[in-house]
Amino acid sequence: LNVDSWIFVADDEPIGGLLNLARELGGRVTVAVVGPRARADAVAAAGPDRVLWHPTTVSTPPEAFAGQVAAQVKQAAPGVLLSSDAASARVLLGAAAAGLGAAVIGSVRAIAVEGENLVVSRPAVEGKVIETLGASGALACIFDGENVPVAAAQPTAVEEVPTEDLGDALLVVETIPAAGGSAGLRLAARVVAAGLGIRTRSDLALVEDLAAAVHAEVACTLPVCDDMRWYDSNHVVGRTHNQIAPDLYIAVGISGQPQHMVGVRDAKVVVAINNDPNALIFKTCDYAILGDLYKVVPALTAALQ
Amino acid sequence: MNRMKAVVVFKWLRNPEDARVGSDGSVDWRAAKMAVSDDDPAAVVVANAIAAVGGECVGLTLGDGDASWAAARGASSTVVVTDAEPSANSAATAAILAAGVRSIGGVDVVLIGDTAWDRGVPVALAGLLGWAALADVESAAVEGDRLRVTRKFGDGSQVVDVVRPVVLAVVASRAEQHAPGMKEILAARKKPVTRITMDELGVEHDTTVTSRGTQFPATTAARVIDGADPVAAAAQLLAALRSDGVL
Repeated sequence: LNVDSWIFVADDEPIGGLLNLARELGGRVTVAVVGPRARADAVAAAGPDRVLWHPTTVSTPPEAFAGQVAAQVKQAAPGVLLSSDAASARVLLGAAAAGLGAAVIGSVRAIAVEGENLVVSRPAVEGKVIETLGASGALACIFDGENVPVAAAQPTAVEEVPTEDLGDALLVVETIPAAGGSAGLRLAARVVAAGLGIRTRSDLALVEDLAAAVHAEVACTLPVCDDMRWYDSNHVVGRTHNQIAPDLYIAVGISGQPQHMVGVRDAKVVVAINNDPNALIFKTCDYAILGDLYKVVPALTAALQ
Repeated sequence: MNRMKAVVVFKWLRNPEDARVGSDGSVDWRAAKMAVSDDDPAAVVVANAIAAVGGECVGLTLGDGDASWAAARGASSTVVVTDAEPSANSAATAAILAAGVRSIGGVDVVLIGDTAWDRGVPVALAGLLGWAALADVESAAVEGDRLRVTRKFGDGSQVVDVVRPVVLAVVASRAEQHAPGMKEILAARKKPVTRITMDELGVEHDTTVTSRGTQFPATTAARVIDGADPVAAAAQLLAALRSDGVL
């Protein structure tokens, strides 16, 4: 069974989880990095077997390299292709998988070798269950597991790949930085978030007072922004908005929909305050206070002051 | 020439919210219908914006459900692959869609919801068509012979000038804003629908990925503190957080 793997990297998220997954297969691990040199160096520091660097210019988006990367993959013929869930890396994976005739599986947490097959596990049915899948032949996986820290004694040598003529199929016109406001949330060590368990806009003061007492940033779920319009989208935590990694995340009146919980997967400790014993969040949090948030939150704030 | 033919892919997955999970962790998908994902309405909005410049919007869907969803939102016709089933192998689902796109012919841009239900299909579809692709797309506009696409990029966004043909995986930033009324829904049922089978498209059923079953995740149970006495509960929680070193 061919367990040599290629990992596609087109952003600056840590690759420890991906690299760990690839290494456990036991094959040779090649990482194709599209972007600035610093990105390639960061990947090289984690110590994969090979780092192939495709330098970009301001006018070329990473996806412009999909054809060139796919051609290299076809030539190398690895058995496993891996990327994160990020948009650009996924496009590279899709192109390479098609070139190789590989099967594609999303939301992958783990891969194991079983005889001549690869066995993959992933959450299914909105995270309610874990599904085990068997795959024959080349396999491309979109990784959805946790990051793990990796470090190598010695960095891998970065090999620069000469850029072929990419044509003008994809040209960057403009890159617009974030409107501001979410940077504080992304870097915060502590975050207190409001969900639809909060009954009125004025009751947000409960959440904000708790945040002030524990020196935390305030966040919210998507419906609190989109449906209630109580906070702007910079405050939203979830798959489509901010994915954060605070030491402490206190979820107030949040049921724990998968879309939201993906955003706090890298939080160290998650506390949920909810009066519904069947709330989904109780399955994934570390501590739960089962009770009325209108009584528990003021008590918590008072105890902190 | 800036008249573009846009294909919007919709209802290409079963709704996981309708699947029944048994007490042993097994899943029964029989009650789960082919469904519109949260991102399908955003994809049709982008398709309409492109087709509005003298172009055309065609719907493409899988399975035996109501095929008029896209037609009620502006598509002039719809192609249905009637016997197609979404596969555990995203590349197999994408192969059916790619064959559908090829059967429509002369397509400039494919719009598909970049749904959390299956993150692999949009990019596998682009790979199989051999077309350029962008994911996390928010909007697109016709700009002469090309498309000007805005997509999420890091914490901000990026505008990319794109040549045709291209696959754009669209993400919704909010719920559907302009749902069609009864008039549009009734008119949609009179628009042309082409029904086609996997056999006619020359696509074989895929068996490279097979489900070996499902089970409940091994969760480390949360430590549940009874909030009936809020003051005691607060003290208990703070003590635990301090011993964990996060306070």
